[in-house]
Amino acid sequence: MVNTIREKIKAKIGDVEVTEVSYTEKGYHLSISAIKRNLLPLVHFFDEHLFYLEDICCVDYVEYLELVYFFNNYQSLCRMKVTLQIEPEHPQAPTISHIYDGAFWYEREIHEFFGVVFENHPNMAYLFLHDGIEFYPLRKKMVLVSDEDKRLLNSFKVEVEEDTFSVNMGPQHPSTHGVLRLVLKMDGEYIESAQPVLGYLHRMHEKMAENRGYLQFLPNPGRMDYLGAMAFNLGYVTTVEKLCGIPVPERAEFVRVIAVELNRISSHLLWIGAFLADLGAFTPFLYVFDDRENILDVLESITGSRLTYCYFRFGGLYNDINESFIEMTKAFLKRMWGRFNIYENLITKNVIFINRTKNIGTIDQDRARKYGISGPVVRSARQPYDIRKVEPYAAYKELDFDIPSGEQGDNFDRYMVRIREMEISLRIIEQAIDKMPEGPFRTEKVPKKLKPPKGDVYHTVETPRGELGVYIVSDESDTPYRMRWRVPSFSNLIIFPHLARGTLMADAVSILGSLDLVIPEIDR
Amino acid sequence: MGKRGFHLETKNLSVKFAVVEKILNLARANSLWPMTFGLACCAIEMMAAAMSRFDLDRFGAALFRPSPRQADLMIVSGTVTRKMAPTFVTLYEQMPSPKWVIAMGNCAISGGPFVFEGQYNVVEGVDLLVPVDVYVPGCPPRPEALLEGILLLEEKITGKRRFPKPEAKW
Repeated sequence: MVNTIREKIKAKIGDVEVTEVSYTEKGYHLSISAIKRNLLPLVHFFDEHLFYLEDICCVDYVEYLELVYFFNNYQSLCRMKVTLQIEPEHPQAPTISHIYDGAFWYEREIHEFFGVVFENHPNMAYLFLHDGIEFYPLRKKMVLVSDEDKRLLNSFKVEVEEDTFSVNMGPQHPSTHGVLRLVLKMDGEYIESAQPVLGYLHRMHEKMAENRGYLQFLPNPGRMDYLGAMAFNLGYVTTVEKLCGIPVPERAEFVRVIAVELNRISSHLLWIGAFLADLGAFTPFLYVFDDRENILDVLESITGSRLTYCYFRFGGLYNDINESFIEMTKAFLKRMWGRFNIYENLITKNVIFINRTKNIGTIDQDRARKYGISGPVVRSARQPYDIRKVEPYAAYKELDFDIPSGEQGDNFDRYMVRIREMEISLRIIEQAIDKMPEGPFRTEKVPKKLKPPKGDVYHTVETPRGELGVYIVSDESDTPYRMRWRVPSFSNLIIFPHLARGTLMADAVSILGSLDLVIPEIDR
Repeated sequence: MGKRGFHLETKNLSVKFAVVEKILNLARANSLWPMTFGLACCAIEMMAAAMSRFDLDRFGAALFRPSPRQADLMIVSGTVTRKMAPTFVTLYEQMPSPKWVIAMGNCAISGGPFVFEGQYNVVEGVDLLVPVDVYVPGCPPRPEALLEGILLLEEKITGKRRFPKPEAKW
């Protein structure tokens, strides 16, 4: 696939520099440096070949700014990195939001953090930052916000039109799962348009990463996605290992799988509780927390914390597992297998639940691709795409499991996919315990102060919410030059305005709940 | 009326109302109504405290209200950012008096791990915005720590601790 794409790009676009890079070292197959003139034909080319937009980010190299686009394919792994250099004074770039809908949001993010103006972008209003911000936070040198951009700072002025009214949902609202704000334009009970306003929990993780060493940043990922803290922790650790070439003992790889899968079950359980609470059912909440506390006990025995785990280290684990951990995990597995029946009787067969979720919030495959969504949300739309299968990390390639997928991509399918995933996670844990090798749990002699070689690396893992991508640029110093987090909740949220259009308000709450959002992860 | 009767002019009146106030405080302390106000990671531990295992209802403090106008306790569970701060103050002002605030977690106490040179978005402690009654440290605090915070708040309201203090084991 990679070779055919490379040949086609050379033949069709021309005038672009295509370099083949080592996938195992860098995490992407082709590096393409575009210029402003041929960026749009290139993006059109990817759109025609059914690529999805993985991420857009920006790196400030002081002499120039570099926009980095990642494209990937759901069908077969083929990751493309497209770079575009722009001048740092009055940076301007062409928008690709008319080709990929998801880019609309990524470009707005880059605009407020770097001051890049995207020509012909429909709405460049600030999304994350507060009204009083005076500079572009992620620029290496202090650059003050221009007067034109200051007018965009607080642009969510309510439009008054005849026959419609605006409802402000959040930032403090029980069913937004945190501090998400939605401005809904309503026509009676029906939603005409929905606009998310983000940044109520923007905690500057990407800025923090540039301020401290690799080891010092280790507790942060767990605080980005507190429900899937293990997976975020793993994503960060494996990226740095890839960047520095640190080997990991086999035993550690298996323990990592067990820890991450236990965490995935606890995250999905909490989602079921929260989703059902959105629909007005409170009882499942009590059941899922009962199960979840059992998982937390198991994980607490090895990590020492209940929620924001920081268990993995570069080249292994914080400490080894013991017999009692295996015993506790087995006891939990036994208990959990018996619980699915309860959930099926309590939720899946409930006629109110079925009516509130069937045929609501349907996502079609093409739309999913344009927004670049991932995780259970894309799997519900008949697209069995899972990073654990496509790009196996840790010990996943030695384990046998299948990927569930839905039929229509509605709320009910997303629920079923998550239930199936919990069962699959249990099977993965069972296999990992059986195959667990003896040996060291950590590579010795990993220096405390890492100084990775110059270059960049992109690495992905499958978190409970979808594809997490970490992009690190190193300049040979002991702090990262730039660390970009491609988070699953963000790309899953940006499809919400599309799904909510024309639905009842109560259904919009159901759709929002089914996407499984974690707000600190969206805001970073 | 005899010697012990009501004399509106005397100071006894306020003493008698103080008794009423005491009873009211006892009622308030044993039926704290917190606001459903989850901010970040600590909100999950707050939920865990109210759910199956830890059962905050034992202390009468788990009737989470979605509206600030029905609540008298605000558990600030997470980081307050500068974008959130105006909303946060509005929510506090919408709560009817008497009202109390528990700052749960390091972010709410001091900005926690998100304070560094050049930070531009985090409020370094909610006590800069609203008066705080009880601080519960931790990142995030365990549910038991939140329970202890609630007991401390009860003590503050009534002047008496309801449960004996657990012995320190180490």
